[in-house]
Amino acid sequence: MTNLNINGRNMSVEAANDTPLLWVIREQLQMTGTKFGCGAGLCGACTVHLNGEAVRSCQTSVSDAVGKKITTIEGLSAKGDHPLQKAWIAEQVPQCGYCQSGQIMQAASLLSKNSNPTKEEVVAHMDGNLCRCMTYSRIQKAIMRAAADMRTASATGSERRPT
Amino acid sequence: MNTHVKTPHGIQADLSRRSFLVGTAATGLVLGYAAVPGIDQALAAPSNFEPSVWYAIAPDGLVTVTCGKADMGQHIASTMAQIVAEELGASWKDMRVQLASNDPKFNDPVLGAQITGGSWSTMMNFDAMGRAGAAGRLALTEAAAAAMGVPAAELVVRDSTISHPKSKKSMSFADVVKSGKATKTFTPDDLKAIKLKTPDQYTMIGVSVPQLDIPSKTNGTAKYGIDVMLPGMLYGALVTPPVRYGATVKSVDDSAAKKVPGFVKAVTLDDKTATTTGWVVAVANTYSNARKAADALKIAYDGGPNAKLSSESLQTEARRLQALSDSGEYFVKDGDPNAAFGTAAKVLEAEYTTSINIHAPMEPMNATAEFKGDILHIYSGNQFATRSGAIAAGAAGLDPKYVVMHQMWLGGGFGRRLDADMMVPAVQAAKATGKPVKVIYTRENDMTMDFSRPLTLQKVKAGLDGDGKLVALSHDVVSAWPTQRWGIPDFLSPSVDKKGPLDAFTVNGADFFYTVPNHYVRAIKNEMAHNATPSGQLRSVAPGWTFWAIESMVDEIAHATGKDPALFRVELLDGKGKNDGGAQRLRNTLLAAMGLAGYGTKKLPKGEAMGVACVSSQERATASWTACVAHVAVAPSGEVTVKKLTVATDVGTQVHPDNIRAQVEGAALWGMSLALFEKATLKDGGIEQTNFDTYTPLRMSQMPEVTVNIIANGEKATGVGEPAVTVVAPAIGNAVFNAVGARVRALPITADAVKAAMKA
Ligand code: FES
Ligand code: FES
Repeated sequence: MTNLNINGRNMSVEAANDTPLLWVIREQLQMTGTKFGCGAGLCGACTVHLNGEAVRSCQTSVSDAVGKKITTIEGLSAKGDHPLQKAWIAEQVPQCGYCQSGQIMQAASLLSKNSNPTKEEVVAHMDGNLCRCMTYSRIQKAIMRAAADMRTASATGSERRPT
Repeated sequence: MNTHVKTPHGIQADLSRRSFLVGTAATGLVLGYAAVPGIDQALAAPSNFEPSVWYAIAPDGLVTVTCGKADMGQHIASTMAQIVAEELGASWKDMRVQLASNDPKFNDPVLGAQITGGSWSTMMNFDAMGRAGAAGRLALTEAAAAAMGVPAAELVVRDSTISHPKSKKSMSFADVVKSGKATKTFTPDDLKAIKLKTPDQYTMIGVSVPQLDIPSKTNGTAKYGIDVMLPGMLYGALVTPPVRYGATVKSVDDSAAKKVPGFVKAVTLDDKTATTTGWVVAVANTYSNARKAADALKIAYDGGPNAKLSSESLQTEARRLQALSDSGEYFVKDGDPNAAFGTAAKVLEAEYTTSINIHAPMEPMNATAEFKGDILHIYSGNQFATRSGAIAAGAAGLDPKYVVMHQMWLGGGFGRRLDADMMVPAVQAAKATGKPVKVIYTRENDMTMDFSRPLTLQKVKAGLDGDGKLVALSHDVVSAWPTQRWGIPDFLSPSVDKKGPLDAFTVNGADFFYTVPNHYVRAIKNEMAHNATPSGQLRSVAPGWTFWAIESMVDEIAHATGKDPALFRVELLDGKGKNDGGAQRLRNTLLAAMGLAGYGTKKLPKGEAMGVACVSSQERATASWTACVAHVAVAPSGEVTVKKLTVATDVGTQVHPDNIRAQVEGAALWGMSLALFEKATLKDGGIEQTNFDTYTPLRMSQMPEVTVNIIANGEKATGVGEPAVTVVAPAIGNAVFNAVGARVRALPITADAVKAAMKA
């Protein structure tokens, strides 16, 4: 038995130590929002967070995730309303949608550290995530929109706090 | 659409379509469907109002549209809902979508089968969905009129509400459905007689409503084939042979695989449909264990007849075939080009090639199969349920009417999911184990076993008269024949020289709208390539290569006669004879793109230039008029950077402007990716590229500025998913020539080829 903390819940799974985290999440926990694209760290479809850092779950063994906080697309926000998810809808980003969980998780790890990224920073951070439907320009726009929303929210948030 | 597709079996007259059969395929399969109890009935509660097979209105007022098309990111399900909603008068917030099973009642109203491709869906379903929506409105209005005691003609339908302005009475759709009084039915003739809205009355068509599938694609809830989970399900991992096609398994040693925990068995496929050769599937309790077991199998192969072939051998064979005067069949034959070349003042000749290309949708191929009673259930995202169901049946040894296909969202299609190879391992593994089995390809399986865009070789010869006028053009297209491989005669077209049917999906586009008095196009099948690299329909299919040749050659002619290549095209698009109408639309589109890009007016630095191309993709009868101006910078090393793509496209009528933009932009970037970054090669009978390290579609950092300009002039709606793919490569190639004088005639355009051509 391996104990994992995923989206804030403790779960135990039965899997050999070298099993890629991706398949444990998808099959055993039946959380299928995280996708398999290449199995080789080349596409980013399988991106999840380990302690807030974006990692490729196809390249992470389940044993490496033990003791860390795993976040998947299902746990990014309570109601699918993370600023990035809202921006993704506002910009109508997804086409087939298959890459988009990975894109959103990758983008979230950028915005959690840098809520005012330049276009170059966005490209550098996102370049490992393939989108075969080529929705790249909308992904960029959505990240910028979410970043702006997050900045506004934190500005109004800090104004309100003293009252 | 190919005009030959729809006529032979009179399907347009057959509105019930339950009796429709695609035909007796070469594989001996007859496609059909048993009305399996419990499939559709489960979807429709008895109290729902179903004015048409295409949608139902529930007592709560929600309208669920059933989409018979594969949704692979083109949001076609949402588009169908939009067309229904327009005529029905429903509020967008009440619209829902679901994906159809393979019941023939969900067949395409024009094609008479379930197939998604050709950028056909909107144009071919627009009328049927509109009529279905209108029928529902009429039925609801009639019921409401009776309930309110007012004349139906005085009622107004809007936002899911039927109101009577004079008396201020109103009823919601939900009220009417709950009353159970909406019962009017429509015969096919009644439907035909309904007067649809005119474009000036549209309130929803032309509006970029939020796509219904998008929220589920931002939170992980959209279910793709790969996400299917069935109770007691096992997993299958594939071992595919080193040779793309024709290998056989000599022996399988599973002694090491047996040590993998959870391993069930290795199944060597016995594929009577000949879709696959030499595949083995390792079945286990989890995918990881199945993968481990697959890797542990020791398999000996006979490589078969194609084991020594390479891209070079396919190309050499193509050259040999092209040189024969009697090979191939004529797709176009106007006048006598060969005679005209004899008297021409100037003759230009060039060979254009394109490499093998791989679809590589982000969701690797997969399928889940389950035998339940007499019925084989298949869960997979597929573009051609009618044929794929038959292949699944063939793999199971069943009559196709016992196969039920459960459609899923497609994690990319691009034509790859028109094929049915994934059905075979899933079905045979499920049969061998007596359990439901989900087979998932690795990316390596997916790439090396792709039904690829075929390697093509084209020879184009042009004859000019003393005034530099183009008087003759001959065009030979040598390739594998992707559509012939389906074994469905109706998808082939008669040749103009009556030599037998040809695969028009290898030459479409070559029947362009330029006026050339002597013109022939020959479709030549490369049998060697056909066998060694079974080809498929890759986003845009033939126009992806025919326009590469034509639009490059037209540029070459212009330069040879000292004319501006863009203005030379305008001259050729004179709209004479059979080109009347189309030529003018294409000309206008080209001029629009030129104006928007600043063609000929912007001063560019050394090493930079613009190039143009214009196309009538996909097919002559269903063209979306598309033009592109590519602005490139070419480094002394030969490296090409695309700075901007300006695309203009005349789509007639736009249902959803924002979606058209998304599709056209995606298509243009596909075109650029194929032009510069994607190349697959065959060696020793196998595809050499196995993953995204060696097969490298465009990434975010390679994206140029793209502007998409939509021309909607009120003509009929045309398709937008593919045409822009075809216009970009020649525009880039022509821009490279304008920038540094290097003419590259092979796709993809590599820095080495540009550098070599610069020196030449
Ligand atoms: S599946 Fe993990 S990076 Fe592609
Ligand atoms: S939306 Fe299809 S791969 Fe990105």
